[in-house]
Amino acid sequence: MEVLDLRPMLAPAISFACAGLVFLLGASDFWRRLWTLGAAVLKFGVILSMLPGSLQGQVYVYRLVDFPAGVGLGFRVDGLGMFFALVSSTLWVLTTIYAIGYMQGRHARVRFFGFFALCVSTTVGIAFAENLLTLFVFYEILTLATYPLVVHDETPEALKAGRKYLLYTLAGGVLVLLGCIFTQGTAGTLTLSQTGILPAEADPRMLAAAFVVFVVGFGVKAAIMPLHGWLPTAMVAPTPVSALLHAVAVVKAGVFGLLRVIYNVFGVDLLRDLGYAYWLAWIAAFTIIAASVMALLQDNLKGRLAYSTISQLSYIVLAAALLTPLAALAAVLHIAHQAFAKVTMFFAAGAIQRSTGKTHVHELAGLGRQMPWTMGAFTVAALSFIGLPLFAGFVTKWYLSLGALQAGAWWFLLVMVASSLLNAAYWLPVLFLAWFRPSVEAPVPVREASLLLLVPTLASAAYVILLGVSARVPGMPFSLAQAVVRFVTGLPEIS
Amino acid sequence: MPTDIPLSALALAAILLQVLGGLLAVPLGRLGHAARLRILGALCALTTLLVVTTLPGAAAGEVHSLRFLQLTQQAWLELRVDAMGALFAVTASVLCLLSFLYSVGHLRRDPRPGRYYAFFMLCQGALLAVAFAGNLVTLFVFYELLSILAYPLVVHEQTARAVRAGVKYIVYILLGGSLLLAGVLLTFFLAGDQPFRPGGILEAGMGRHMLLAAFACFVGGFGVKAALVPLHGWVPDVHPAAPAPFSALLSGVLVAAGAFGILRAVFEVFGIALLADLGVMPWLSGLAAFSVLFAAIVAVGEDDLKRRLAWSTISQMAYVLLAVSLLAAEATVGALVHISHHAFLKGGLFFCAGMLASEAGIRKVGELDGAARRMPLTMAAFAVAAFGMVGVPPLSGFISKWLLGAGMLEAGQPLALVVLLGGALLAALYLWPLVYAAYFRPAAGTPDSSPERQAPLSMRVVVVAAAAISVLLGLLAWLPGLPVALARAAVAAFFGGG
Repeated sequence: MEVLDLRPMLAPAISFACAGLVFLLGASDFWRRLWTLGAAVLKFGVILSMLPGSLQGQVYVYRLVDFPAGVGLGFRVDGLGMFFALVSSTLWVLTTIYAIGYMQGRHARVRFFGFFALCVSTTVGIAFAENLLTLFVFYEILTLATYPLVVHDETPEALKAGRKYLLYTLAGGVLVLLGCIFTQGTAGTLTLSQTGILPAEADPRMLAAAFVVFVVGFGVKAAIMPLHGWLPTAMVAPTPVSALLHAVAVVKAGVFGLLRVIYNVFGVDLLRDLGYAYWLAWIAAFTIIAASVMALLQDNLKGRLAYSTISQLSYIVLAAALLTPLAALAAVLHIAHQAFAKVTMFFAAGAIQRSTGKTHVHELAGLGRQMPWTMGAFTVAALSFIGLPLFAGFVTKWYLSLGALQAGAWWFLLVMVASSLLNAAYWLPVLFLAWFRPSVEAPVPVREASLLLLVPTLASAAYVILLGVSARVPGMPFSLAQAVVRFVTGLPEIS
Repeated sequence: MPTDIPLSALALAAILLQVLGGLLAVPLGRLGHAARLRILGALCALTTLLVVTTLPGAAAGEVHSLRFLQLTQQAWLELRVDAMGALFAVTASVLCLLSFLYSVGHLRRDPRPGRYYAFFMLCQGALLAVAFAGNLVTLFVFYELLSILAYPLVVHEQTARAVRAGVKYIVYILLGGSLLLAGVLLTFFLAGDQPFRPGGILEAGMGRHMLLAAFACFVGGFGVKAALVPLHGWVPDVHPAAPAPFSALLSGVLVAAGAFGILRAVFEVFGIALLADLGVMPWLSGLAAFSVLFAAIVAVGEDDLKRRLAWSTISQMAYVLLAVSLLAAEATVGALVHISHHAFLKGGLFFCAGMLASEAGIRKVGELDGAARRMPLTMAAFAVAAFGMVGVPPLSGFISKWLLGAGMLEAGQPLALVVLLGGALLAALYLWPLVYAAYFRPAAGTPDSSPERQAPLSMRVVVVAAAAISVLLGLLAWLPGLPVALARAAVAAFFGGG
């Protein structure tokens, strides 16, 4: 059901053109905002127009360049790519609005918004990559395009974080390239397919090597422990960038790469036979718990958010590694669930910092009275991470646990339970301080952040609730996630 | 099984009314506090009315269910009105209404009434949803929400003591919630999404280990809230720390929600045949019997009045679990009736204790001497509820104990009867001295005039009403539509239909 179509190429091209326009003509605030917002909305529309097809298992293809030996650059929109692209382009709209408000009066806004658009362009490129080479190329561009954003403040601390970021992610990129070479050598192709491309009869050492380099290579951006070091340091970046790193683009690119490797390079049957996925599941489980414990120890709010991200990303990895249909559903869904909840938190944290200058958890006492809407949104996201029913996180927890039972691995149920409790242990004190402790200073009247910051925050918080209660309403990500499991992962149908 | 909409739609409407009240509580403050109380009070009364109207149908053995939200694939939120649910819902909403009235007086000088009433209304909504839950997922969802929504009420006073109690509360409740989730997941994995069914939805063929694990999860998960020893640790700290009207609800119906959950799990998830086959019930009996006696003994030595009442709750709730664990029809009738009767008795005692504390400053057992002179109405109500708790005829407590005892004998478990009588004896030991001190001991200092008369009317009305309900439930126990009839209808389904 492959259809030749221009739109897979159009979507990244729009953000790319937007980046160009911002760099060339972005000196005036008005035009820069117009380009950025216009492109964000336009791209969202283009991607959305392909959704009905994706739900039916339709695949849109557009080949860009052909090199000899069957390698080339090309785009291919299947359910999984669609899901990732939709999440990131939805969030691009929200983040752009937020960034316009947040960056008011800051320096180097042209550079900021230019690279911002470039990042999102490459993210869609990753999502729509037809083959591993295309995936790799965009993966590397993403690394380079985020660097100017990470070091945006140009403080020594920021520059240092930027160096660390480059070191980790470029090294990861090299390993991904190595993996591509192994794959080409073993399978003779790099084009992703539903059942995987690596042949079962290949040299097992080769397969093992390929798996390890892919996991490590993508694992850097997916922040699997112990490859997570760059993520907490990169928190020095401006808040919209953190949101971009944590929810929209970078870490998700890593996780997305891993999902592609598991489902479309190796294929579930081969991985199950090899038994590697089992090890990956344990590493993910370790990351979930260890990162949560680290999060407990952070007093800096953004630091706590960073470790929470590391922990939540490994939910996706764990779910994918279980290789059962229900767990796969959880893996795909959590891309959206984590993204919206985490973006909400970052938006809230940024708004708090902009309005009150507070950055640490212990300073948040009484903030619920001062910024009730912002803290309300934060509360929704926190309860979602804890996995309270009627919030998005519960749906993930539910399917991940059922998936673990389906795989006959009930001990991952304990991991889920422990993780929920740890999430409660590091989020509930924040909520307690904000809502039930009087402010240390003189009582402050209600003073919310500007509407440009508040509206995206509330919108994503509302979506977190919507994801939790109406997963089954048509048009929600759930139906697409189901289509992904059905058409992309090569797993048996969900009964 | 008829599945018409009407009765369950009433239940949904009642829950939504409470949610509406919860959302409006803070914004309504702009109209002034009095207007807020009038509107919320009207909502609360309307909810109670709606819930009461489900009674006749439910007592006649009708079952109505309504699926209203699809949470995930195959997991529906489903409301169902049946006899057991209606019994618990009516008990809960009547006690909530009393508690609301009491709150009006109790919180008259409170700096944060908006938050209190918002969460109060939401809690009541969640409580009704627990009562009317038609399947395990729904029960779990609202049970968890109830736990979280109760937290702001527990720490409402924001004193150091309340905050400490709040931490303890949240830790216990989250651990219990996790266990419960594991149980729900295991059940869902084994049996899929099925409505509660008398006779159970699990079958012996599903693997003994899985079933045992699920049962342990349910007992552990619900047991935390039902205050089954050794999971009871939060109760003696949290119940006294909450504002008095909410303590009454905590001890009266929130703890009962745990017991109610166990009842659902035993009769409508596992089913008596399967549980008898698994052979786990003697363990539950042992735990429950230990709880009855242990908590009662601790209560005898407790000096803080509200803590003593909290220990009494632990002991009394364990009666319910003890009776359930016998898997006998008459004992189960007793268990259900006891949930309802205990709610009003214990609610009444906490209302009285709240009056004593806030109006006369009496918080310790030792300070009760001569209290009857200063607080005649309160102490009279207290005495009625205390006698009821001990099981003196013709009060409601006597009826439920009688049913429990008769059921235990019928089930051929004289040992359980001994525990029951021992518990009652100990109840006399921890409650009678309070009544005695209040009436027959001279007051220590010069008594101030009559603090009771300065108490707001609403509080005095509630204290009397709670005592009156306990008397009436005892005298008119056999009328249709009252707990005994409803319990019989519910139990007939469990044991007859299964």
